Amino acid sequence: MATENEENGADMQSESEESAYCLARQKLESLLNKNMRIRMTDGRTLVGLFLCTDRDCNVILGSAQEFLKSTDSFSQGEPRVLGLAMIPGHHVVSIEVESESLVNSSQGM
Amino acid sequence: MKSSVEEDDAGWSLGVPEKMRSNANWVDITQDFKAACRELNLGELLHDKLFGLFEAMSAIEMMDPKMDAGMIGNQVNRKVLNFEQAVKEGAIRVRDLSLPELIGIIDTCFCCLITWLEGHSLAQTVFTCLYVHNPELIQDPPLKAFCLGLLKLCDIARDKINKAAVFEEEDFQAMTYGFKMANNVTDLRVTGMLKDVEDDLQRRVKSTRSRQGEDRDPEVELEHQQCLALFSRVKFTRLLLTALISFTKKETSAVSEAQKLMTQAADLLPAIHSTIHHGNQPHNDTTKGDHPIMMGFEPLVNQRLLPPTFPRYAKIMKREEMVEYFSKLIQRIITVCNIISTTNLHGILDFFCEFSEQSPCVLSRSLLQTTFLIDNKKVFGTHLMQDLIKDALRSFVSPPVLSSKCSLYNNPQAKDYIDSFLTHCSRPFCSLIQIHGHNRARQRDKLGHILEEFATLQDEAEKVDAALHSLLLKLEPGRQHLACVGTWVLYHSLRIMILYLLSGFELELYSTHEYYYIYWYLSEFLYAWLMSTLSRADSSQMAEERILEEQQKGRSSKKSKKKKKARPLGKEITMSQAYQNMCAGMYKTMIALDMDGKVRKPQFELDSEQVRYEHRFAPFNSVVTPPPVHYIQFKEMSDLKKYSPPPQSADLYMAASKHFQQAKLILENITSPDAEVNRILKVAKPNIVVMKLLAGGHKKETKALPEFDFSTHKYFPVVKII
Repeated sequence: MATENEENGADMQSESEESAYCLARQKLESLLNKNMRIRMTDGRTLVGLFLCTDRDCNVILGSAQEFLKSTDSFSQGEPRVLGLAMIPGHHVVSIEVESESLVNSSQGM
Repeated sequence: MKSSVEEDDAGWSLGVPEKMRSNANWVDITQDFKAACRELNLGELLHDKLFGLFEAMSAIEMMDPKMDAGMIGNQVNRKVLNFEQAVKEGAIRVRDLSLPELIGIIDTCFCCLITWLEGHSLAQTVFTCLYVHNPELIQDPPLKAFCLGLLKLCDIARDKINKAAVFEEEDFQAMTYGFKMANNVTDLRVTGMLKDVEDDLQRRVKSTRSRQGEDRDPEVELEHQQCLALFSRVKFTRLLLTALISFTKKETSAVSEAQKLMTQAADLLPAIHSTIHHGNQPHNDTTKGDHPIMMGFEPLVNQRLLPPTFPRYAKIMKREEMVEYFSKLIQRIITVCNIISTTNLHGILDFFCEFSEQSPCVLSRSLLQTTFLIDNKKVFGTHLMQDLIKDALRSFVSPPVLSSKCSLYNNPQAKDYIDSFLTHCSRPFCSLIQIHGHNRARQRDKLGHILEEFATLQDEAEKVDAALHSLLLKLEPGRQHLACVGTWVLYHSLRIMILYLLSGFELELYSTHEYYYIYWYLSEFLYAWLMSTLSRADSSQMAEERILEEQQKGRSSKKSKKKKKARPLGKEITMSQAYQNMCAGMYKTMIALDMDGKVRKPQFELDSEQVRYEHRFAPFNSVVTPPPVHYIQFKEMSDLKKYSPPPQSADLYMAASKHFQQAKLILENITSPDAEVNRILKVAKPNIVVMKLLAGGHKKETKALPEFDFSTHKYFPVVKII
C-alpha cells in the first residue's frame, strides 16, 4: 500500500512538472516563425524569424538582419542581411515580438 | 512536401519580409521567454517541424569572432564614416592635397589593388579608400583622375577574369557589392584626364629642374622630386590602364600594342620604388589591425557589406613589396602577349603548360585565356578552332584524308567524316586549354575529368579511321588509312594521363611508399605507350613524305635533294625516352630501398595498398585505350620472382643507376638544351652516384630513411642517403 501511495505522489508531482513543461513548450511553439527582435550584449539588434531555441535560451533566427546600436528607429542606417543566425543565450539581453503576433497566437490557442 | 521545405529553406537565408521595415509594436517578452526555455530538457531543441538540427548547424554564431564579421566593426571605439560624412566633418579633404599626401594615397591604393588581385574582396581592399566611392566629389585633379583610373583598372580586370572563368574562390573574389566602377565615364575620357594631369606635372617637373650654375634651393629640389614621383605614378596608372584596354580590343595588333605599353610601364617602376619615402607613411594603430591608416582610408567602411560568412582578414600588401609585385605582374603579362606568335595547336598547348608552371596570378592567366579565344569564338579573333585542330592533326600524323594529293581529299563523304570529327574536337580542346589556365592545384582534378571526353573522342576517331580506310581501299587500293586520327587523339590522352600522375608529385599528394607504383605506371606503361604512339605518327609522316616525293619525281625529272632533315617529332621522342628512364630509375630505386627496409609503410588497417592504388589511377578507368592496369595485373607484371635468380637490392640499385645514366646520355645529346633538360640532368647526375654507392653496400645497415628532394625538379627527386 505504502509503495502505491508513494507512486501516486510521484505521479502527482511529475504531472504538475509536466503541465509546466507543456505550457512552456506551447508558449514557445506559438512564437515559432514569428518576427522577433533580440538585443545582444554588444548593443546590436537582430530581427528575424524565430526558428529554434533550447534550454540555454540559444536562439536561431531566420532571415536575420543586423541593426547597429540605434534601437528605436530603423531609419538610422541600413541593416545588414545575415540570414540564418544563432545568438548564444548568454548574449541575449532582451527579446521582443510584434504585438500582433502575440494577439494572433493567443487567439489560436 | 519536398518543395515546400525547399522554399522555406530559401526563406530562412534570404528574403526580407516587408513588415520588418514598418514600425511595428514590439512587446518585450524577455522574462517569459527565458523562463519558458528553462523548462525545456537538456539537449532538447524546440523548433518547427520543417527546421531541424541540420539547418541549425548552418547558422552563423553571433559574438564568435571567428564567425561574426559584424563584431569587429562594433568593437572599435571610433566613428566609422563613409565618404560623404567624412567630407562633411572635415575628416578628409577633397581639394588642395599636398604632394606627399597624394603620393601616399596612390601608393596605398596600389597596395590595395594588388591585395585584391591576390584573392581578397574589393570591399576590404580597394574600396577601403573613401575617395574611390565617389570620384565626382573630388576637386583635386590628380586625385580625381587617379581614382577614376583605378576604378577602370578594377573594372576591366574583373571583366577579363570573369570572362576567362579560370578562377576559384581561393583565386579571386568577383563580388562588387554594388560599388560604382566609374561606368558613367568613358575609358577614353579617363585616360585623357590622366594624360592632362601627367602633362601638368611634367611642366612642374621641368620648371623646378636644376639649372646650371644656380644655387639649389633644397625646397625646390624636394618639390622637384615629389612632382617627379607623382608624375611616374600617374603615368604608370595610365599605361597600365591603356594596356588593359588594348586587351579588350579584338585585333591581334592590339596585343602587341599592350606589350609595348607594359614595357614602358615597367620602365617607370624604379622611379616609383625610389620615391616611396616621399609619400605620407601609414602609421600603425593597433585598433585597426594590420590595415594601414591614412587620410582617405577607412578599413571598416564596408564591414557591413561583407557577406554573412566567417570574417576574412585582408592583409594589405606592404609598399616595398608593391613595386616587386608590379614588376612580376608586368613580366607575366608581357609573356602572355607572346602567345600570338604561336600559331599551331601543339605549340599553344605547350605554351599554356609552360606558362602555368610558374604559377601565375589570376589576372595574367585570364588575359592569356581571353587573348587566345576572343569571346569564346575564334582563336586570336581570326582563326576557327576547327582549322587550328585540322592543322595540328595534319602536321602530327599527315593523314591521307587531309593531303591534297590523296583522292579522299575532295571526296564529299570523307570530308563529312573528318569535318564532323574536327567539330567534335573543338570543345574538348578548348576545355583542355582552359584547364591549363586554372591554378595548379585545381588542374589535376579537372584533368582527371576531361579524360572522359577524350575517351569519347578516341572512340569516334577510331570509327572515322575505319570508315576512311574502307573508302580509301576502294579509291586507291594499296594505300592505308589506319590509326591516323586515332593516333593523334591517343597522343593527347596519354599526355593528359602523364600530366595527371606527375602533378601528384608537384602537389605532394603521394606518400613515399606509393612512389614505386606511380613511377612504374609512368615508365612501363604510359611513357612506353607515348613513345610507340609518337613513332607511329613519325612513320605515318614519313609515308606521306615518300608519296609526295614519288609524285614529284614523276612530274619533273629533277632529282629531289636527299637532305637529312630533323624529324619534327624527334625532340619529343627523345624527351619521352629521357623521362621514361628517369621514371624507371626511380621505380627500381624505390623497390630496392623497400627491400632494404628503407621505406616507411603505414599500418594498413582500414585500407590496403590496393585501395590506394585504385584510388590513384581511378580517372584512368574511363579510358579504353590505353586500357587501365588493375592492381592484380600490376602485381603480376612487376613480380620480381619471375626472374631467376630474383634480383637483390644491389642489382636493382645498379639497374637504377644505369637508367639515370641512360637519361643523362640522351639529354646530353640534345643540341640546344632548354631549362627543363638542365633540371633533369641536375637530378640524374647525383642519382647515378648515389645508386652506385648503394649498390656497393654503402650505409646498408643504417636505419635512417632516405630523403627525396624535389627542389631541383618537381617530378623527380634527388635521392639523399643520410
